[in-house]
Amino acid sequence: MILGHPVRLAFAVAAFAALALIPVGFDVGLKFDAALSLIWAFGILSVVLLTSYVGQVSLCQATFAGVGAYAAGMMFNTFHAGYVAGIVVGVLAAFALGLLVGLPALRLRGITLAIVTLAIALVFDKYVFQDHVFDWFTGGSGGWQVDGADLLGLRADSSSHLLAAYEVLLVLFVLAGLLMVNLHQSGAGRRFRAIRDSEVAAATMGVNLTRYKLLAFGLSAAIAGLGGSFYPLVAGSVSPQPFWVFTSLQLSAIAVLMGVRYVPAAALGGFFMAFVPDILTRYGHGSFMGRAYEISYDWFSLALGVLLIAQLILLPDGVWGDLRAHAVKAWAAVRTRTQRQVSAA
Amino acid sequence: MTEFAAYTIIGLGLGGIFALAALGIVLIYRATGVLNFAHGAMGMFSTFVAWQVFYGWVHPDWLPGWALTFVAILVGLAFAVIMGLVLELAVFQWVRTRPPVTKAVITIGVLLALQSAASLIWKNNQYHLPIYVAPQTWTFQMAGVPIGANYVVIVVVALGLAFGLAAFLKYTRLGRAMRAVSDDPISASLWAVPVGKVGAVSWMLGSFIAAVAGILITPFINFDTTSLTLIIIDALAAALIGGLVSLPLTVLGGFVLGLLETYPTMWIQSLGFPRLVALLVIIGVLIVRAPRGMPVATR
Repeated sequence: MILGHPVRLAFAVAAFAALALIPVGFDVGLKFDAALSLIWAFGILSVVLLTSYVGQVSLCQATFAGVGAYAAGMMFNTFHAGYVAGIVVGVLAAFALGLLVGLPALRLRGITLAIVTLAIALVFDKYVFQDHVFDWFTGGSGGWQVDGADLLGLRADSSSHLLAAYEVLLVLFVLAGLLMVNLHQSGAGRRFRAIRDSEVAAATMGVNLTRYKLLAFGLSAAIAGLGGSFYPLVAGSVSPQPFWVFTSLQLSAIAVLMGVRYVPAAALGGFFMAFVPDILTRYGHGSFMGRAYEISYDWFSLALGVLLIAQLILLPDGVWGDLRAHAVKAWAAVRTRTQRQVSAA
Repeated sequence: MTEFAAYTIIGLGLGGIFALAALGIVLIYRATGVLNFAHGAMGMFSTFVAWQVFYGWVHPDWLPGWALTFVAILVGLAFAVIMGLVLELAVFQWVRTRPPVTKAVITIGVLLALQSAASLIWKNNQYHLPIYVAPQTWTFQMAGVPIGANYVVIVVVALGLAFGLAAFLKYTRLGRAMRAVSDDPISASLWAVPVGKVGAVSWMLGSFIAAVAGILITPFINFDTTSLTLIIIDALAAALIGGLVSLPLTVLGGFVLGLLETYPTMWIQSLGFPRLVALLVIIGVLIVRAPRGMPVATR
């Protein structure tokens, strides 16, 4: 285990401290990116759980995050609840929706499931998040404002709220990541993997398919919803656009690009999704060889599509997976060489 | 009653578009095993190329409007064919042996790339003037309901393409080769069917059909880059009604879906509600057809 070795433990603590302290020096824009990157990291983590642990495809993870965000906004505005209650309700709402989405998944797999989840993402994008029938949930066309929300005593409209949200998100994300790694070895994790490898074989060995597939969808949605329920606090308001159908596609695309079998790839993907477009648009303008240019968000999305295609052809295990495999291989080569030198001496 | 008839006409026109878009999806899926989520985006991009020729470029004064429409559509369709070929050569020929889900995820990459490229060139969420194949003023009365000529064009083209494609797959040498590759690529290659060429032709043909659908639909939707890309959901619903294999059932599915999405608008004024209808149709079809449709759909 990761905590079993003192050197590893020290390394982990140092890495965590570094991650917690680095954004302190950021300006407001980059602090926002830091908090946002963890929100999307939760979304990508939910893809990792669903796809690599249980073998299910989903193209509606941003929808779960959006439901979490709107539920948190509704709790704060309509019921004047504390923000922690909003987060709890957001996670529960996402969990419930995950169970609902899991119902068709009981009979479907592979690309048919991808079609259904994409349709669900579109329904929430164009209908639930935008139609007046659901104004009680979405706060109307203006969305919810959460000025004055406080999280554990830290007010959202103070200048420190981005950093506070980031630190809380970081702790939660590390906990979720550790839980994910532990889940892999637990009874539920073994049943998940049995379902992934063969549903028929899993059912034959007594795995309750209904219970564990629904549990997987519920857990995955709850993870995405946990990240999403922080969104109103970080951004100050909720609107449909951050959770529209293309965000769902992007979450899945980045998860696959970074390596959908690995928990750390979720953090890497969240960083990529939040920082890269902001830095590109912030510094990507000027003139080159006498021609003015300006890099907009669409360039990021274009690059993401092209990178995803190239990665699936060239690096099937994703950026994290393949780079790690190369590193492990190189390290093994170095070690054998040293051992040979030692024994020769 | 006339209101009902009017909605029926609108629904059939919409259904013709869904049928057209779905035909391309089914064709590519049958011939290459790729479920193409980027189909709407491909049609969208070609349509905007035609739009660029029609509205964006300076034209000589002596060129009459109908000739300009003709040239614009021709350029858009030619672009679509080239794009299909490029996609096959650059992307899909390298992943022929991968699992279907991987191929589907690659099409999501294609979707994101085309969508953002179009958004860069033609600006996202902005109204664009549509391309009218038949003049907007051409209408005629049937049972007291005015019918626009553009609706008739859509329905005729959808039906014609469906039967044309079915005949093509059944009676021509190339069509037989496509069916052979879709059934079993390895056996087909052993019987000297050029699998690579068949894949290229399928992508060119599929992209062509996507462009036809895209150009025909411009007068009837909010014509911007995202709405055309997102037609993929309705097209997939229609394609699923045909089990992703049957061309006639796919066309029928398109028309049924078009009507189902149009009738509720008599009572419910909501832009998003038709999406819910499409979702319910997809779930319903998958649950009803699952036992028979599954082996095909999970191939």
